[in-house]
Amino acid sequence: MTIFRRDIMGPALVVLFLLLAGSAASWLLVAPSLSGSVQPNYDVTRLVLYYSTLPRLATALLAGAALALAGALFQQVLRNPLADPTTLGVSAGANLALVVASLFLPGLLGASRDLVALVGSAIAAGIVVSLGARRGFSPYSLVLSGLVLSLWCGGLAAILTYLNQRYLTSLFIWGAGSLAQQSWVIPLSLLWKMAAVAVVCALMIRPLSLLDLGDSSSAALGVRLARLRFIVIACAVALAAFVTSAVGVISFIGLVAPTVARLSGVRRPGQLVLWSPLIGASLLFFADSVLQLVAGGLGDFLPTGAVTAIFGSPLLLALLPRLKIRHRIQESPVWNRSRQWSGTRSIVLAAAGLLALLGIGIFVGRGIDGNLALVSGDFSSDIFAIRAPKIFAALASGAMLAVAGSILQRLTGNEMASPEVLGISAGSTFGVAIGLFAVAPGFMGQFAFAVAGATSVLAVIFLSSRRSGFAPERILLAGIALSAMVDAVVGVLSSTGDPRAVLLMRWMSGSTYLVDGPTAATEVGVGAVLMVVAFAARRWLDILPLGPSPSAAVGIPLAKSRFALFGLAGLMTAAATLTIGPLSFVGLMGPHLAREAGLTRALPQMVGAALIGGSLMVAADFLGRTIVSPYQIPAGLVSALIGAPFLMFLMRKKA
Amino acid sequence: MVTLEPVRDAPNTTETFVIEKVGLSIDGNDILSDVSLEFPAGEVVALVGHNGSGKSSLLKMLARQLPATAGSISYGSQDIGRYHDRAFARLVAYLPQDVSTGSEMTIRELVACGRYPWHGALGRFSEADREKVEEALRATHIENFADRFVGTLSGGERQRAWIAMLIAQDARCLLLDEPTAALDVAHQIEVLSLVRRLAHEGGRSVVIVLHDINMAARFCDRIHALKRGRVVASGTPATILAPDTLHDIYGIDMAVISTPNLAYPLAYVC
Repeated sequence: MTIFRRDIMGPALVVLFLLLAGSAASWLLVAPSLSGSVQPNYDVTRLVLYYSTLPRLATALLAGAALALAGALFQQVLRNPLADPTTLGVSAGANLALVVASLFLPGLLGASRDLVALVGSAIAAGIVVSLGARRGFSPYSLVLSGLVLSLWCGGLAAILTYLNQRYLTSLFIWGAGSLAQQSWVIPLSLLWKMAAVAVVCALMIRPLSLLDLGDSSSAALGVRLARLRFIVIACAVALAAFVTSAVGVISFIGLVAPTVARLSGVRRPGQLVLWSPLIGASLLFFADSVLQLVAGGLGDFLPTGAVTAIFGSPLLLALLPRLKIRHRIQESPVWNRSRQWSGTRSIVLAAAGLLALLGIGIFVGRGIDGNLALVSGDFSSDIFAIRAPKIFAALASGAMLAVAGSILQRLTGNEMASPEVLGISAGSTFGVAIGLFAVAPGFMGQFAFAVAGATSVLAVIFLSSRRSGFAPERILLAGIALSAMVDAVVGVLSSTGDPRAVLLMRWMSGSTYLVDGPTAATEVGVGAVLMVVAFAARRWLDILPLGPSPSAAVGIPLAKSRFALFGLAGLMTAAATLTIGPLSFVGLMGPHLAREAGLTRALPQMVGAALIGGSLMVAADFLGRTIVSPYQIPAGLVSALIGAPFLMFLMRKKA
Repeated sequence: MVTLEPVRDAPNTTETFVIEKVGLSIDGNDILSDVSLEFPAGEVVALVGHNGSGKSSLLKMLARQLPATAGSISYGSQDIGRYHDRAFARLVAYLPQDVSTGSEMTIRELVACGRYPWHGALGRFSEADREKVEEALRATHIENFADRFVGTLSGGERQRAWIAMLIAQDARCLLLDEPTAALDVAHQIEVLSLVRRLAHEGGRSVVIVLHDINMAARFCDRIHALKRGRVVASGTPATILAPDTLHDIYGIDMAVISTPNLAYPLAYVC
């Protein structure tokens, strides 16, 4: 009977410990207001205690329980230990829906906030699950598409926030998951909604645990798979949506709680569904009360959700090796290359396109009356002096990212590899963030920090995936998880209101707004040198995709060449990230479009990718500048909004 | 030796599955065409054929895992589509080819899953259910390690654990998709003997997909042979194990010898 005792004792101890620790922390919070003398009429500390502190703690308990239950349900029904409202993009979908509704249909929000959140998260879950279903619910592709969707929704929400700052500043803090409360309304409504969903879940536990037998066996036992999946996913989506509409996006609790439950000895799905909410509730309660203690007066503004994300994404990374590869579907890339185009013709066309875009970018803009017009007249030289550096910086960055993407795709033998997806861009942003907050360097100093960040991420990827032989999905997921973490760190930093955070935000969104002449010149110079070096390595890049043993057999120094090429890709990514931010996805799109155009050898592909990547960024810069003039949308965000769906489309095509 | 009780409702019809002119095509490829077969109650019926002959697909169609694109399949003179999910699972149990999942459970928990069609999502797990589980554990001789995890079992033990789940399901018909695929010859004999006892002593009907024609001849009452999605031969082991018939099934020359201490002939490749 020992295993059965462990089933209950382990998680019970965890819950007890977290609750005790949380209670101790919250006692420290509450004690001052209790110890003060009781005022007869108007006692502010008591009011704060009854209508802010206590509701906040209750909300933490309820939201934690709901998210953990949603996570446990997702993990069981998709049979995927990484699934949770954050990794499946459900929370981000709800968040985006709420942002859109509060901007364009505020009346709807007044009528039913929950409904808006539900619609948003249902759409997100629909997209992610239908993508996953095409690939047999492969854990990797499911979470990959979920995280990409999250980033995309986050990006769009960021643009909307950026354009409407006056209306949405509070929305930003709320969107990052703030538990601050002013009354009992939210915890009470959350309570009954959760109870309703929990009843439905209880009815589903038995068929749900049969899913462990595999699809055909559970169907043979009379379980209606489609109906069961639909109901359970709907329950989980509803839980996540209710929490998001009440307190914003609280990341990764739904991932952490079931994992802790499993680690502490829970084995059967029924127990998982029971213990996860308890652990999730005590976990968020603990995290939030500690956060309030540590942050002191800032506690109301420091979003708990962003803080949980910082701790959650490393956990996601740590969990990756535990995922079984068995489910992986080996994809056979079939690309319909348009053979009627010769390589030179494609390159000439791409170059012509780039020149045309450059022309448009420099000479066309919105005039004072708001119409698109050619630049002319007295101020044209002034306008060129402002405009040209941005355009050339965008061009150089786009080209470098695209070449780095080609190198990485060839080195890892993975069509989905790119600096953004592998988290290298995120690494350099992280480096810049550390640099900014620690020593505040100039452009070259920032570049050094960016390079350090990028190369350390590369080193981590290289070392950790050498054993798995660069298993594609694992690298991709690790990269996306890193990006999510950087996002969270920046979110926390920005909510502190530190002015340097604004600078960081600008980077994250990839704004070329402040690029001046010398910076652009440096960027173009660095880009040109690095690209020439990359082109010189074309022979290596032709042979290395054949695999390590054939490459070594023809005399390529494997370790040295790989090290050099990874380093080169890191340098280019770091340089590019400084101007267009970590999430442009140009490094993914450039090489792919080049290959679609029939450029398959290393050198033509790199040249083509550079031309296409450069054009994409120039176009994105132009669009960002003109589309909602007089506002500017950062070029990086524009291309991210095109790039993320492109990535999802690629994954769909591979089904 | 544990005697096996007959299933709750003893077979009252002489037929379990009857399939008429059944066809299956996926993406324009005909997997099965014009298959008409009968499966008498209380018999062990083998489906044999070369790789890709459609025998597993046929079994999946019997188990309602794949819908037929032509023809009709009935069970107990009712179309199988008309049964409710759990009602059908109470009549027919199915063991898929890939049973590598479920390793997080103990064997007893795995076997208890077989009671789902009887108690459903909400019904009580009664004393009768518990008794059926214990009975199934005893029948497959795995009661001694019933609290071990499925993931720690050897191939033969795991296969027996899954068959115990099917026994606990208490269905009058078992559909087994290559239950001996990954087993050595001793374990093959063990599992197939169990299957045969389930049919002949327990009053169940069994449809089993097998690769090995000699094993099929030894343990089954009837053999249906498929080739490229069509029935090429059907009959008792004695009629199937003839050189001409074997050539029709596998497309290679085979001969048959009779051995003094076996009741049936032995086929071998010339």
